[in-house]
Amino acid sequence: MIARAPAGESGARRSRAGAGSIGAWRDAHLYSMLSSFGRIARRPGATLLTVGVMAIALALPLCLGLLLQNLERISGSFRAAGEVSLFLQPELEADKVEALRARIAQQPGVVAVVVRSPEEGLAEFREMADLAGALAALDYNPLPAVLIVTPTAAGPDAALAETLRDLPGVDFVQHDAEWRARLGAWLSFGERATMLVAALLGLGALLVVGNTVRLDIQGRAEEIQIVQLLGATDGFVRRPFLYLGAWYGGLAALLAVSIAALAQWSLQDAVAALVASYGSAFALRGLDARATFGVIGGAIALGWLGAWLATSHQLRLGRKGTN
Amino acid sequence: MSLLRFDGVGKRFAGSAPALSEVSFEIEPGEMLFLTGHSGAGKSTLLKLIHLAERPTQGTILLEGQNLSQLKPRRVPYLRRRIGVVFQDHRLLMDRTVHDNVALPLLIAGQARAEIDKRVRTVLDKVGLAARERAQPSALSSGEQQRVGIARAMVAQPALLLADEPTGNLDPQLAAEIMQLFASLPAQGTAVLVASHDLHLVRRLQKRVLVLDHGRLIDDFRPVAA
Repeated sequence: MIARAPAGESGARRSRAGAGSIGAWRDAHLYSMLSSFGRIARRPGATLLTVGVMAIALALPLCLGLLLQNLERISGSFRAAGEVSLFLQPELEADKVEALRARIAQQPGVVAVVVRSPEEGLAEFREMADLAGALAALDYNPLPAVLIVTPTAAGPDAALAETLRDLPGVDFVQHDAEWRARLGAWLSFGERATMLVAALLGLGALLVVGNTVRLDIQGRAEEIQIVQLLGATDGFVRRPFLYLGAWYGGLAALLAVSIAALAQWSLQDAVAALVASYGSAFALRGLDARATFGVIGGAIALGWLGAWLATSHQLRLGRKGTN
Repeated sequence: MSLLRFDGVGKRFAGSAPALSEVSFEIEPGEMLFLTGHSGAGKSTLLKLIHLAERPTQGTILLEGQNLSQLKPRRVPYLRRRIGVVFQDHRLLMDRTVHDNVALPLLIAGQARAEIDKRVRTVLDKVGLAARERAQPSALSSGEQQRVGIARAMVAQPALLLADEPTGNLDPQLAAEIMQLFASLPAQGTAVLVASHDLHLVRRLQKRVLVLDHGRLIDDFRPVAA
C-alpha cells in the first residue's frame, strides 16, 4: 500500500531536490499507482478472477447495447416508413406533378417533398435482381410518379394523410405510422431493458471491486494500523486502494471491450450472410473510439468508487476501534 | 512553554479500575526522562494518551500548547507526526526494506523523494545500520530491528519521542547501546520519554524518572547531578 522507493531511480531524482510539495504529491500518486499495479501483478490468479467477473458484468450490457445500436441502424433504413408516399395517377403529366409537389410543400406539417419519376422508380426496381427479369418482359413502364413527403419530426399523423389522399391526381397514399410506432416502441423497450441490465450489472461490478478491495484491506490491517500510528491521514491510507480499484476497473473494461469485439467478429460472417439474402449491404458495427474510451473511463470510475466505499467502511471501523 | 503537560489526567476503561488517575507532570523541550513502574501500572496507557491511541476520561493533556481533548479526529494524524513512537515489538513492515520502513513517516508527511533518501541515509548512519539499507527486516537481528524502529521514530525529527519498553527483548549489552542512542537525541532538540521497568539501566543513565504505581504518579525524581 505504501509507495515503494525504486532503487534505481533515486539517483536520477536527486537532482530535483526540494522540487516542492507538488512534486512530492505527484510522486506519491505515481508510486501509489505503480505499487498497486505491482501488487495485483504479483497475484495473477486472484486478479484474473476479479477482473474476469467484473469484465463479464460489463461485457453483457455492452454487447446488448451494441446489438441494439445495430438494430436501430437497420431500422434507420425504415425511416422511409415515416415518410408518406403518394402514388399519383399514372397518366398525370410532369408539369401537373410539379404543381402538386409545390402545393403539398406548403402544407403545414410538411418538411420536404421529393418527386420520384416513373423512370427513377423503374431504375430502382431493375437493381433488385429478382424483379429485373419481370421488368424486362414489359414493353412499357407501369410505374406512376411518386411524391415522397417528409413530415415534421412529430411523425405523419392520420389527418395529414387524409388531406393528401383527397388531393386531385393522387391515386394512393401509403404511410406506415402504426408499423413504425410499434418498431420504435420495441426499440425503446430494448433500450430501457439494456439500461436496467447495465445498471444492475454495474452495481454488481461495483460490489465485486468493493469486496476484493475489502479482502485486501483486511490482509493489510496491521500495515494500515502502523501507518495510522505514524500519522497517516485517511487519504494516505485510502490512496493505494483507490488505485487498486481503478486498475481492476480499467483491466476489466479492456477485457469487456475485447469480449464485445470478439462477439462482433464471431457474428460478422453470419450476419453478412443473413443480410446478403435480403439484398442489403449492412455490416455489424462495433464500438467506436469514443464509446471505447467511455467504457474504460466508466469502469475505472466504478472501480475507484467501489474501493472508496470499502476503505471508508474500514476506516470507520478503525476509528471506532482505536480512538 | 513546556512541550508536554499532563494536568489531573485520568483514564478509566469500561468495567475496570482506573488505569490512570490524577496524573500531572510537565516535559520541557529537549528533555530526556524515564517512566517506570511495575507491569500494569499504566505506563503504556500513559504513552497511548500522548499519541492519541487512547483519549483521557479526565483532565487535560497539552502538547505544544494544544489541548489534545479538543483535537478533531481529522487533525489527529498531524499531531502524531510531531511524535515519534518506538514500540516494544518494533512493528516494522516485514515486506519492505529497511530503507522503506524508515522512510515511511517522511512519505506520510509528503516529503520530496530526494529529501527522503537523504534523511533516511543520515538516520540509518546514526543508528549504525547504513550498510543494511536494502535488507529486509526479517534478515536482521532483534537488536537491529529495534534500531530500525528507532530510526523510523527519529527520521522526521519529532518534538517528542516515546518508547515503550524499547529494550524489553534485548540482552543487557544491546539494551545499554539502545539507551545511549536515546540519550543522544535531546542534543538534537528531541525530547525523549522512555517507559521501562529495567530499573538498573534507568538508574545508570542518571535522568529524570517518573514512577507510576497503580495508575498514580508516586514519584518524579530528578538526579541532582544531571
